[in-house]
Amino acid sequence: MTGASITLKVNGADRPVAAVAPWTTLLTVLRDELGLTGAKRGCNQGVCGACTVTIDGEPVRSCLSLALNCTDCEIATVEGLAPAGSLAPVQQALAEGNALQCGFCTPGILIAAHALLRRNEPLSVDEVRAGLSGNLCRCSGYKKIVEAVVRASEARP
Amino acid sequence: MSPPDTAASGVGASLPRLDAREKVTGRAQYIADMVRPNMLHAAIHASPAAHALITGYDTAEASAVPGVACVLTGDDFPDGRMGAFIKDEPAIAKGKVRYPGEPVAVVAAEDEETARRAAALIRVDYEDLPVAATPDDAMAPDAPVIHEDLPDYFKVFPAICGGNVASETELSEGDVDAAWAECDVIVEGEFETPAQAHLSIEPVGALAEVDADGRVTLWSANQSVFRVQANVCEALQLPMSKLRCLTPKVGAGFGNKMEPHVQPLVVQLALKTGRPVRLILNRTEDFETVRARHPFKIRCKTGAKRDGTLVARELSAILDCGAYGDDSPGVLGYSLLMSRGPYRIPHCRTSGKLVYTNRMRFGAFRGFGNPQVTFATESQIDEIAGRLGMDPLDLRVKNMMRPGDRWFGGGEVASNGLAECIEKASAASGWRQGRARAAPSGKRRALGVAACAHISGLLATGAIVRLLEDGSVVLNTGAVDIGQGSDTVLTQMCASALRVPADRVAIASPDTDGSPYNWGTTASRVTYTTGRSVVAAAGHVAEEIKRHAAEIFECAVGDLELRDGGRVGIKGVPDKELSYFEVSARAHWAAGGPIVGADTWVYNQPSVDPKRAIARGLPFPQIGVYSFGCMIAAVEIDETTGKADAVEVWSAMDVGRAINPGSVEGQIEGGFVQGMGFALTEEMVFDGPRLVNPSMMDYKAPTSLDAPFDIHSIIVEAAEPDGPFGAKGIGEIGLVPAPAAIGNAVAAATGARLRRLPLTPERVLNGLLESDSED
Amino acid sequence: MEFIRPDSIDAAVAALQAENAACLAGGATLVAMMNADLVAPERLVSLRDVAALRTAMRQPDGSVVIGAMRRHRETAEETDLRDGQRVLSDAAGQIANPPVRNMGTIGGSCAFADPAADYPPALAAADARIALVGAEGRRTLPADAFFVDWYETALEPGELIESVILPPAPAGTAGSYTKLARVAGDFAIASVALVLGMEGDACSHLAVAVGACGPAPVRRRDVETELLGGGLGDSEIRRLTDALADGLDPVDDVRASADYRRRVAPRLVRQAIAEAKQCLSGTQ
Ligand code: FES
Ligand code: FES
Repeated sequence: MTGASITLKVNGADRPVAAVAPWTTLLTVLRDELGLTGAKRGCNQGVCGACTVTIDGEPVRSCLSLALNCTDCEIATVEGLAPAGSLAPVQQALAEGNALQCGFCTPGILIAAHALLRRNEPLSVDEVRAGLSGNLCRCSGYKKIVEAVVRASEARP
Repeated sequence: MSPPDTAASGVGASLPRLDAREKVTGRAQYIADMVRPNMLHAAIHASPAAHALITGYDTAEASAVPGVACVLTGDDFPDGRMGAFIKDEPAIAKGKVRYPGEPVAVVAAEDEETARRAAALIRVDYEDLPVAATPDDAMAPDAPVIHEDLPDYFKVFPAICGGNVASETELSEGDVDAAWAECDVIVEGEFETPAQAHLSIEPVGALAEVDADGRVTLWSANQSVFRVQANVCEALQLPMSKLRCLTPKVGAGFGNKMEPHVQPLVVQLALKTGRPVRLILNRTEDFETVRARHPFKIRCKTGAKRDGTLVARELSAILDCGAYGDDSPGVLGYSLLMSRGPYRIPHCRTSGKLVYTNRMRFGAFRGFGNPQVTFATESQIDEIAGRLGMDPLDLRVKNMMRPGDRWFGGGEVASNGLAECIEKASAASGWRQGRARAAPSGKRRALGVAACAHISGLLATGAIVRLLEDGSVVLNTGAVDIGQGSDTVLTQMCASALRVPADRVAIASPDTDGSPYNWGTTASRVTYTTGRSVVAAAGHVAEEIKRHAAEIFECAVGDLELRDGGRVGIKGVPDKELSYFEVSARAHWAAGGPIVGADTWVYNQPSVDPKRAIARGLPFPQIGVYSFGCMIAAVEIDETTGKADAVEVWSAMDVGRAINPGSVEGQIEGGFVQGMGFALTEEMVFDGPRLVNPSMMDYKAPTSLDAPFDIHSIIVEAAEPDGPFGAKGIGEIGLVPAPAAIGNAVAAATGARLRRLPLTPERVLNGLLESDSED
Repeated sequence: MEFIRPDSIDAAVAALQAENAACLAGGATLVAMMNADLVAPERLVSLRDVAALRTAMRQPDGSVVIGAMRRHRETAEETDLRDGQRVLSDAAGQIANPPVRNMGTIGGSCAFADPAADYPPALAAADARIALVGAEGRRTLPADAFFVDWYETALEPGELIESVILPPAPAGTAGSYTKLARVAGDFAIASVALVLGMEGDACSHLAVAVGACGPAPVRRRDVETELLGGGLGDSEIRRLTDALADGLDPVDDVRASADYRRRVAPRLVRQAIAEAKQCLSGTQ
């Protein structure tokens, strides 16, 4: 079947996409149509969190979001966290804090962490643990990730 | 992000991952991110049957779906068989299926949706055979035979096998039968551990592309490009020269990606279609068709004298092999080798059987059988302490192996940091100061301890170090960084050996065409084995640099030294020096030729001394060097529900030398949490042969709220004399003692000794209520 | 498959009048099932643009009407829920994890009616009613009548959930949700939703619903009523837990065995009541 032609607003840019079927998820469009492979498919079931992106500023599962439902929203992915060539503070904190190993969970963790940091106040360890509890990491044991996010929250003005 | 000088980026520095920037920007490419021009997408048709003869295929409907390029069944595959120890596994089911989920046919189509839809339309006729779902079923006298040709399969070791028993192994020292009489206390019990899923967040996948001459390039999620090459070539009967294996970034492995998964399927599809073909398994397929940690049933008996001296141990294990041999004979052999633990126990008899069943294949998983036996043996150390009224830590210290003691079987142990691990974990946790902090209301709290050892080693490895024209360096080892950080660590070693900053060393991506052989990223081996090659190859380069400098300065080689920043100079004469640029330019353009250092070796220290021990059916006679560790876990148990939470842990691990302490901590922390999952929540549940929870909804690994934040990594450095900069591995050992330490804490808190993992709220509550009612 | 995004309740109801049509709320459950090929509706009616379903409002009488499209996060933070009504916000905050709470809606969760989900017992304990709208008009059902069986509700084809209505909770009552799960954010092994009021030592309000231990939440209103006015001591609680235990119909699944659920549910009830009593006496 031929699907709908839509325009998605991703990382601030209008991105037209043709032939989107009703069942096509935002994750599929991002990865296969828009070349934004930062969001990962770990389960396609909403559990692992590797596909986390923000819609209108809130972290959500792109694998559970149908693309046709995402028009007229602001979508942001890991690729949009900082301008090319620079790193957002949370990216810097994870990179320097040895807080990533295989990196497959990292884009989703960064998106979830970035949303936590918007509150613009120092975060406690337990707040970060709760805030990241929807993002599985099988490598790190979480400690260094949590530390890095707490550090990033403290470093803010 | 790389600091400028050698000291800040070389050995001992917590240098961030070299690919950190690539990963935090979302640009790192994993297999599912790779696309080749004109690429087809593949999907598998999996067997619904557990054990059946394939009597026919009907692929007409699937082939007729628009967009389908190719449908292949077992009939379209050569007769080759692969397997790390026993060559028992075809690329795809041929003639019969042996487990539910086994690939029976594959489809390649223009897009993944079409491929999946077509795969569902394939009809396969089966004639059901009786099913052996468990080792007990499979060892019954009238059990169906899962591999009729087992006696004829090629095996890489003298396997003791027959019927459904794929391998039998025994290892013993001393005279166990006589020794029981010397014991004042004997504990005996049966322990059971379930299948655990690796659950790398990246599911497996592969992409193959064929050139005009029929030579294939293959990218895949893997732990060894060389094992991929060997397996695919065996299964498809291809000369190895016809297959080049490469690797994208790998979304972790933990053993799951060491041996083959879907690589042979995509290669065959690429060969048949002439087009690139990519296959990415979905999560359910990844659960059902790749591999998992072996379920173990262990009988263990340990005896000690009244003063706590351990005297004898007997341990026998039954491993569910699943449908194919894979790494399983190795897991069996290794688990027996580990089953004395890091103690002096003069009389020890161990044996095990690996039994084929009609379940998914089981294979390598971080710890390689050691967490299972350690759960049993370390539980019994605590039980003995309890019976003797001794402190469990004192009992361990009394019996622990001391420097110079040999390992079970007689292998030499050149470095042993166990005493320091126990001491430091004990001090940091406050074990001797009243042990448990007060529990919050409604909870019980206790500490549990476990000691352990693990190896780093095995098999062949190599490194090539080249000096570029400008004096910077390229390192090529063929070792796949699966996320644990070996690229960074090997680069740091190379940088330190040549006294250049790490950012002056590039590390080549593994390539079977261009890299030296590396058996794989497994067995906690890369830092130790590959590191040795890196240091040796860099040493050759250093020698060459000095040789050039000696010619230029007209001095003896022995008068020269390497200096920080990549310079060579005359000892004691600070201004007599050359940059590597000057040396390398001379080598490239004037004299001697470009400078290349290379080293290869194979681990060759025997694990068993036939004068001390009797071994039968042991699959690898040369295993590796030993690391030691001690873990203390604080566990809180909810008195209402029985739910046990590990709330704090002290993990002291002997790594020889921490090349990158930040990375070492990452392994200790991640290893603990994966071991905690194994102890508390993770279980692959089977209904007969069928996995009933092949999804992340139903299979539960710890989240950031379940894992304790207070994981204290304590790095102990008992230098390995022949290790690179003294280093040994750390990849697995941090997981190994976790179930035992947690189990011992649960026993201390509840009075209930639970011998079956996972320690679910149900088991803990039942234990707690029973032991309360006995009081 | 057809995809429709109506912008009013009437248009949504009209769009639903078709064979094999399904409402798409937050997507947290439906899309997961579509991804796994477990369902394939012919028509998807997205409720995203139906503004009327997205609001929550406190009525003058103290009842609160929560639109079906209210997300779990919003309900968890809902300041209009007061006193015993907080049982619902407490439950909402324990559903899954932050990104899923940003997506999932109360209507979607109720319609799917997973017996191990967190809303059904909370709604039962709050004496909530579910407001449905269809081609024939509107009707409201008490939660007890709405959750019919395993994954089965009283929703008729062509009907959608418009809102969930929480009656006023007596001032001074406390609502709490206690959940036992394998890991954080998992569905419950067993859960207890409680609304409790105490006047001095006498129980003035009591509602206890047990979740994940049968096809629908289990409540024993008869025993609750009998216990009103008396002290809620061990023997009274025992009467209640014994009665509840009779009503449980748990199954063995990958989360836990039926035996364990029978064993742990009364213990959770006891714990929930003890904690609520403590919290009430602290605030008095
Ligand atoms: S892929 Fe979306 S949550 Fe796992
Ligand atoms: S770094 Fe590998 S899953 Fe998190």
